[in-house]
Amino acid sequence: MPDIRVEHLSKSFSGTRVLDDVSFTVKEKELVTLLGPSGCGKTTTLLSIAGFQTPDEGRIGCGDDIFFDRDAHVDLAAERRNLGMVFQSYAIWPHMTVAQNVAFPLRVRKMPKRAITARVAEVLALVELSEQADRYPHQLSGGQQQRVALGRAIAYSPAVLLLDEPFSNLDAKLRERARDWLRELQHTLGLTTVFVTHDQDEALSMSDRILVMNGGRILREGTPEEAYRQPRLRFVAEFLGQCNFLTGAVTAGPDGTAILKTAEFGDGIAVPEQHAGPRGTIAVRPEDIEITQPDAPGSGPGGTVLDASYLGDHYQYRVAVGTVQLSVRSQRPLAQGPVRVRIPPGVATFVD
Amino acid sequence: MTSTIEQPPDVTAPVTVRPRARWMPASAGQAVVWLVVVVLVVGPFFPLVYSSLRSKPFYLPGGTFGLQAYRTLFADPLFWQAVWNTLWFAVGTTALAVAGGTALAILCNRTNLPGRKAYRVLLMAPIVIPPLGLIIGWLAIYGQGGYITQLVGQNLHLPVWNLSTIPGMAVLGAVITIPVVFLTVQSALAGTDSSLEDAARSSGAGPGRVITRVTLPMLRPAILNCTLLIFALCLEILGIPLFLGTPSNIDFYASYLYRSWTSSVTPDPPFVSAGAVLLLVVVSGLLILRARLSGSEQRFIAAGGRGGGAHRPLDLGRWRWPASIGLGAYIGITCVIPLLGLVLMSCVKALTTLQVPWQLFTAENWRLVATDPTLRRSITDSLLIAGGGGAATVLLVAAATLIAHRSRFPLRRTLAPALIYPRAVPGVILGIGFFWAYLMFTPGALVRNNLWGELIALCVRNLTLAYVVIYPSLARINVEFDRAASSSGAGWWTIARRILLPILRPALLAAFVLMFITLLGDYDPVVFLQKPGTEVLGVTMLQTWARGIVGPVAALAVVQVAIVAVVLLLGARVLRRLRRA
Repeated sequence: MPDIRVEHLSKSFSGTRVLDDVSFTVKEKELVTLLGPSGCGKTTTLLSIAGFQTPDEGRIGCGDDIFFDRDAHVDLAAERRNLGMVFQSYAIWPHMTVAQNVAFPLRVRKMPKRAITARVAEVLALVELSEQADRYPHQLSGGQQQRVALGRAIAYSPAVLLLDEPFSNLDAKLRERARDWLRELQHTLGLTTVFVTHDQDEALSMSDRILVMNGGRILREGTPEEAYRQPRLRFVAEFLGQCNFLTGAVTAGPDGTAILKTAEFGDGIAVPEQHAGPRGTIAVRPEDIEITQPDAPGSGPGGTVLDASYLGDHYQYRVAVGTVQLSVRSQRPLAQGPVRVRIPPGVATFVD
Repeated sequence: MTSTIEQPPDVTAPVTVRPRARWMPASAGQAVVWLVVVVLVVGPFFPLVYSSLRSKPFYLPGGTFGLQAYRTLFADPLFWQAVWNTLWFAVGTTALAVAGGTALAILCNRTNLPGRKAYRVLLMAPIVIPPLGLIIGWLAIYGQGGYITQLVGQNLHLPVWNLSTIPGMAVLGAVITIPVVFLTVQSALAGTDSSLEDAARSSGAGPGRVITRVTLPMLRPAILNCTLLIFALCLEILGIPLFLGTPSNIDFYASYLYRSWTSSVTPDPPFVSAGAVLLLVVVSGLLILRARLSGSEQRFIAAGGRGGGAHRPLDLGRWRWPASIGLGAYIGITCVIPLLGLVLMSCVKALTTLQVPWQLFTAENWRLVATDPTLRRSITDSLLIAGGGGAATVLLVAAATLIAHRSRFPLRRTLAPALIYPRAVPGVILGIGFFWAYLMFTPGALVRNNLWGELIALCVRNLTLAYVVIYPSLARINVEFDRAASSSGAGWWTIARRILLPILRPALLAAFVLMFITLLGDYDPVVFLQKPGTEVLGVTMLQTWARGIVGPVAALAVVQVAIVAVVLLLGARVLRRLRRA
């Protein structure tokens, strides 16, 4: 299985820059997610890799092949890139049965009839559709259609799998199952995979690495944990779940850490990072903030719970501390009224 | 789960990596299709433009280049009169036909109108009846000396209408062109996902609101397409002013050119070519306007592959039956009665309200059709052209439409205008163009004076109809279908052959049926090409009528109706089966 190298990709549509110097590498057998809001350039990037968009600048390589190189005038036709792709609409051909859909990439490659039949049976077993082989797409459920699309994409064992929001047409329950199932399949087959989504839960749960995009640029690259814990940018922090931001004066702490002081948190918040400059902004996840009864032992400023909502496995609180409002997530039921708020050392991270 | 799955299957990769420079055509086949279309469509216009800029026809010695022909044309007050007449007629006809055709298509496809299935077939009647036949039928019934006009005026002493006025002709023009609108809109409706309408209804919108806010906006490309087509059809209409306008001296653009051509002292007067060239300019403007207005076709693709499915029609409430009866009356008045008039005409010596028809019965007209070699040959020749030419045209246009809208062929954008063009140009003018093209270019000798030349002229002239049926259906096919095939490793031709054309099958069949019917009834492009031995139905009818022999013409029209009815019934049957599959 090869790697995918995207270098300095740029593209404009009628004056609007949709890709701005996008570069990244997807290593062998890795699942990399392009995550971002709609219009961020993630789909354009994917379509450029697949060969359905022609970038204005840059290079795209896959293993030993050059897919696209603006300067060398190479633009390999989509059908020669040997990729498997699952489309948002699934794009299962309505005039073909499930088996015919899956067989198509093999027939195009002039595989012997008997081998096709065997391979289609294998793939259909793999995507758990053996029973539906002779059905037409409109006779299938959404989840089944999605699996047909996946079966077709992997039928000829492509080098690379491209997924364009494959779960967006599924209901929540099914989506979670399909997610685990696809992740397992990707591992089993060892496919180098590029996955496009706007759903941060999908991105966090499935990816080896996440690329958060906005405005045609890659803002953050890293493992799900890195991206979530150290988003570095306000946009990334907000896009990957809820986040609180506090701005204040920064002083150096012991062992290369920093202390951020605000009017509300006069004792300072310990941040395990160095920071240049006298002022800074930190990001704190709601679940990292501790709130306790006001009379409980410990430090931290007092606050007021403005409202609470029960979400099954936790409570979501809105807490006012001085002039700022924080969202806090806790297992503990608390009544509206005064509380003590604490940001433990090490949970905050600086953002720009 | 089998363990073999983890090994790649032994697919030897036959797809060799051969980078292709971007400016190269994606395939030679695409270039061939493009070239054939462009040569056929553009070819005839060169002799036309050339001759409009010469002071004399090109075969005469001593001609010079200049704008003299245009000056002659502009100096003629009759020309300006014809222009105004044509514009009023075209505006009236287009408004009536587009509004009527769209309303009828929605009524018959999206509401619970009683008898809508039958009406869907019956509303095709104006194209079932060949244009000349319908005109003659209308003259026989509603003309100045028509059957019903006589009944109302002479027997009942009521004020009567005058069909030979511009509003009168616009009504007949709309009746003739409504099926084109109906077919286009219906074909667009058949593919749009009715769950979009259901969604609007569940948001609380009543049937009227659903139609105006959801259905009609979705139909915009189809409506816009046929508005421009109908308007262009009106500019070129020849039969109506020749038959209906003549009694009151109303000429339209096409009939003015036709009359100037046929009654000119010198053959092929250059100012007729100049008039034709001017019309080309106007039509080009319309096409550019169309391109600007229609905008992005992507917006009208309903999400998901297969549109339709079972949907509940919109409820018309208490208007159900009045609407149905009104629609029935419309079909009766516009088609059934004139058709009866036609049948009657083919069996009697003269049409009059003063004597009961069976006393005037004669089989002479039918005997003539069966025995006269010219009349008989016109039937077989027309069948040959309609069947063979129709099928070939649909295949060519389908390929060209796919190249125009679903390929990366460098010159693809030129194809859509090339496919719209021929039908927007007056048939007579296109016919003259072909006449000169066959004369001027060497390969023309191969098709001059035989049926091939007429076949080519008729097919080129009508290929637009195939395009307007195929294109809206193609636009609704999600482009991800192509991409899925492409990323599966299929090249363009494989995608066309295995994915797009099979999905387009209903549209292809509809296009063929429309082509067949039109080719059987069309006549104006071949008025100047027909030679003894290569007769086609329309021209034979025109020439026979001009000699004052009306009975056999009515009989020929009845034959046309019968053939077309059979083809339509068969086509509808196959179409139903295709759509069910």
